[in-house]
Amino acid sequence: MNAWLEVPRGWLDSFGEIGRFGLRVAGLVYSGRALRFFGEALRQSGILILGSALVIWGFVFILGLQCGLQGAYFFRAQGAPAYAGLFAAFCDLREAMPYAFGYMLSAKVGTGIVAEIGAMRISEEIDALEVMGVPPVTFLCASRLLGAWIALPFIYLVGIGVMYAASYLTVVQQVGDVSSGGYSLIFWMFQDPTDLIFSLIKGMTMATVIVLAGCYYGYTASGGPVGVGTATAKSMVFNIVAVHIIGMLATLVFWGANPRVPIGG
Amino acid sequence: MARKAVATRASSATGLFTQVGNMVILTTRTISSAVRPPYPYGEELVDQFLFALRLCWFPLLVTTFALNLGAPGLQAAGPLQIFGALDRLGGFFVLTAIRWIGPLVTALIVAGAAGTAITADLGARKIREELDALQVLGVDPVKNLVVPRFLALMAITALLDVFAIVFGLTAGIAAELLYNQSLGGFFATLFSNASITDIWGSVLMCTMFGAIISVVCCYKGMTTSGGAAGVGRAVNQAVVTSLLGVFAFSYVFTAVLLATNPELQTIR
Repeated sequence: MNAWLEVPRGWLDSFGEIGRFGLRVAGLVYSGRALRFFGEALRQSGILILGSALVIWGFVFILGLQCGLQGAYFFRAQGAPAYAGLFAAFCDLREAMPYAFGYMLSAKVGTGIVAEIGAMRISEEIDALEVMGVPPVTFLCASRLLGAWIALPFIYLVGIGVMYAASYLTVVQQVGDVSSGGYSLIFWMFQDPTDLIFSLIKGMTMATVIVLAGCYYGYTASGGPVGVGTATAKSMVFNIVAVHIIGMLATLVFWGANPRVPIGG
Repeated sequence: MARKAVATRASSATGLFTQVGNMVILTTRTISSAVRPPYPYGEELVDQFLFALRLCWFPLLVTTFALNLGAPGLQAAGPLQIFGALDRLGGFFVLTAIRWIGPLVTALIVAGAAGTAITADLGARKIREELDALQVLGVDPVKNLVVPRFLALMAITALLDVFAIVFGLTAGIAAELLYNQSLGGFFATLFSNASITDIWGSVLMCTMFGAIISVVCCYKGMTTSGGAAGVGRAVNQAVVTSLLGVFAFSYVFTAVLLATNPELQTIR
């Protein structure tokens, strides 16, 4: 029976550790000590832009297609196909974009960080850094967090645009129950800049947690090449669950009490 | 400089096509050696099934509940409450929990938990040269390692999909209760809108997801190279590739399912 409870117990064990490690790294960035390695942070954001941006946008595009498809068929069934824009606006901006961003970040960036830092830990490069007098947490983790904070908001905002384009393609061009103008009217009516900011906060919270968890699992990897693989796998599970819990809480906080829709008085 | 960049892009594109082709070859080899006797993989199949179930059940439970409560539950309940039609949430949950979120979250969890574990396991065996040793001993790695994982993941994804639907609907009930609604209307619209096609479409889609995930993860694990960093990188690539594959496939499948089954498009 104990083997079945391994996953939740492992989380309970490591949750406090991850929190403490994350606060430490965030503190290093907040106090400005990470600025000592600002060049490294810029290099990390460059890696994010060159290596991950296209994958994230491709994934977001697929999910945008799905949002449009489901919304178009749902509102056709309701007898109000002109309102497919309502579903697309809610789905794209409020839910699917943060989740898609979170999924792809945890798959591409989170596990990538674990693999990199974990391999450094196994080949004792982190100890070498310490011997050379370079603070490893600041150099490896804080600079990555700073780099993520520099690059990811822009990747996120472009991703929203990509997703809008995908939903437009399915609703107007593929299913074609609503005219382009009618779709745009409803689509833009059901969102405002505040929603965009809420959505960005949601996505960036996920991104921060993912980068920090990746750094933690990589920094504490042990047990040879197999250990790096296991740590990478573990971080992926943790990230997925963290993304969903953050998503639910953010929805509750931002849109739970006031749905922010232009209906009624 | 520019020519060099173009050359790198071109080589990475051909590398992509080579990999996809190799995965298709691996799939056909897996299927043919799964049906052709002898069948030595029974025990491994059970082991892998239980292993994946043990890894996935708890993340799946938490994730489906959180996602269904947040995204369709609260987000749709807000406008519906303004219309005074909160009982319609049941009909909406057929669309989200059964047709869409259930299968996708199941695939996400299976790829993230079981798939990464498979890649890490096979990758470690590859760089310790255990796979080569197996081949020298005359044991076919595809038949003995890939086939049981392939079948186990297909079975487990279909099974977990049922649980994902159940917990997704539980989240719908929680959303109704948050808005102080009676549950009669929720269940009435849920059962009148859900059809058998929805359920089998969902489960069939999940079986295909399991096949995609297992082939990608086994392939990435068996072609690992380059020591400690290599295993980590293999896991990273396996997750990314299987997620992209799963979501692209689900778009095609959903489009075909909705377009060929007009009865799914009517509201009852």
